[in-house]
Amino acid sequence: MSARTLSRPASLEALDETAVPLAGGTDLVPLVRDGLVEAETLVDVRSLLPRGVEPGGIGIGAGTTLADLERSGEVPDALREACRLAASPQLRAMGTIGGNLLQATRCWYWRLAFPCYLHGGDRCHAREGEHREHAIFAVEPCASAHPSDPAAALLALGAVVETTRRRLPLAELYRLPTEDDRRLTTLAGGELILRLRLEEPDASVYLKAMDRQRWSFPLVGVAAARYGEETRLALAGVAPIPWALGSPADLDAATPLPGTAYKVDIARALVGRALAAVR
Amino acid sequence: MTELLVNGGRHEVHGSVLTTLAEVLRGHLGLTGTKVACGEGHCGACTVLLDGAPALACITLLEAVGEREVTTIEGLRDHPLVDAFVRADAVQCGFCTPGQIVSAAALVRETPAPTREQVRHAMAGNLCRCGTYPKIEEAISTWQG
Ligand SMILES: Cc1cc2nc3c(=O)[nH]c(=O)nc-3n(C[C@H](O)[C@H](O)[C@H](O)COP(=O)(O)OP(=O)(O)OC[C@H]3O[C@@H](n4cnc5c(N)ncnc54)[C@H](O)[C@@H]3O)c2cc1C
Ligand code: SF4
Ligand code: FES
Ligand code: FES
Repeated sequence: MSARTLSRPASLEALDETAVPLAGGTDLVPLVRDGLVEAETLVDVRSLLPRGVEPGGIGIGAGTTLADLERSGEVPDALREACRLAASPQLRAMGTIGGNLLQATRCWYWRLAFPCYLHGGDRCHAREGEHREHAIFAVEPCASAHPSDPAAALLALGAVVETTRRRLPLAELYRLPTEDDRRLTTLAGGELILRLRLEEPDASVYLKAMDRQRWSFPLVGVAAARYGEETRLALAGVAPIPWALGSPADLDAATPLPGTAYKVDIARALVGRALAAVR
Repeated sequence: MTELLVNGGRHEVHGSVLTTLAEVLRGHLGLTGTKVACGEGHCGACTVLLDGAPALACITLLEAVGEREVTTIEGLRDHPLVDAFVRADAVQCGFCTPGQIVSAAALVRETPAPTREQVRHAMAGNLCRCGTYPKIEEAISTWQG
């Protein structure tokens, strides 16, 4: 275990670069206790983050729980459904939307501390090993699959992220790992997500394939949001980061591993259904 | 020293930064009704209520509880759900049962007569290795007697 102090600052603006924010703790607490995340200073930001949905032009506080969003009549269907289908009731009551967007990969090699590429090593153990829950896009050099349902919904909904330092489209919150930087997000040390903003679509939907009917990470999640004539698609569980799909034909360009080829078929079927649902 | 509000009483407890609520409830306060099975948020055995909302004590840090009131299975001793679980024979080994009853208490407080779909949605985070699910559903749908 590694973490020396837990503090509760009076303001969010002046966080130290090494501070590790703790919101609901559903992802972070096990990672710190297992030694997978080093956190000299944990900063409890839960009660300081904005919480709730602002009506009229949709603004969502980063401290809003998935349970709040599941019950909100003010968020688009795709986001509400992605939250309803995520995790379990206890985790939705605890977990915040900000933390959900930043959750670490569920790749079991990474979680078991194998010295793999994402941990700074030089190979991907999943590629030659067990990988049926892994990616079908951007499988080199790390084949992990992004686990967030709400992230796919928010990507299709064109969400903009407001942090303590800047505003950026959700797509720019994420990056693929590179030789000299293995991180999957562009958030700087001490930078906090404060709020998400999105435009109300004419119609939106989120569909999720799981190993069991509830309480499971997405094998494939598909979000579709229609704005006038334009429909945007985004997928969960198919790449190391939430994945925007320009058109259904882009699925032909998938490069699955032997064990994930089945996900391409699932994605194709769900994309077809999602498009029909928002037409 | 941290002050913790549990089942209506105030307690002074000690813990380090990474001490969990489950460790304190079981190890310091003797409230061993809260079980720990997976220890990482998957099974629901450690479910308690924080200000009435279901939460997992195994991944809740003691220091992050703050002013919120903790309700454990011991605090639900007189809840009619306990009898309902007995009547429906919704217990096999019993290890998941405290967590099941705590989640069910949160459900029926908001929705006293839940539909089958509502029960399944609200209880999805409580796994039962003995497979007592049909009996658990029966207990929750007959809890008012
Ligand atoms: C067993 C299990 C099953 C799950 N199943 C699903 C699922 O099916 N679908 C799904 O989408 N999710 C799933 N999740 C993920 C869950 O929804 C997230 O763990 C939760 O939403 C994270 O929110 P939190 O507030 O607990 O974050 P924390 O655990 O507190 O933090 C997570 C990360 O985000 C950082 N952070 C948190 N808030 C901020 C902020 N405002 N600004 C900057 N950094 C921040 C933390 O430092 C940490 O790195 C599952 C989780 C578990 C444990
Ligand atoms: S998929 Fe990514 S996280 Fe998993 S073993 Fe490969 S490099 Fe590591
Ligand atoms: S012991 Fe807490 S969820 Fe399993
Ligand atoms: S009764 Fe044995 S785990 Fe549920």
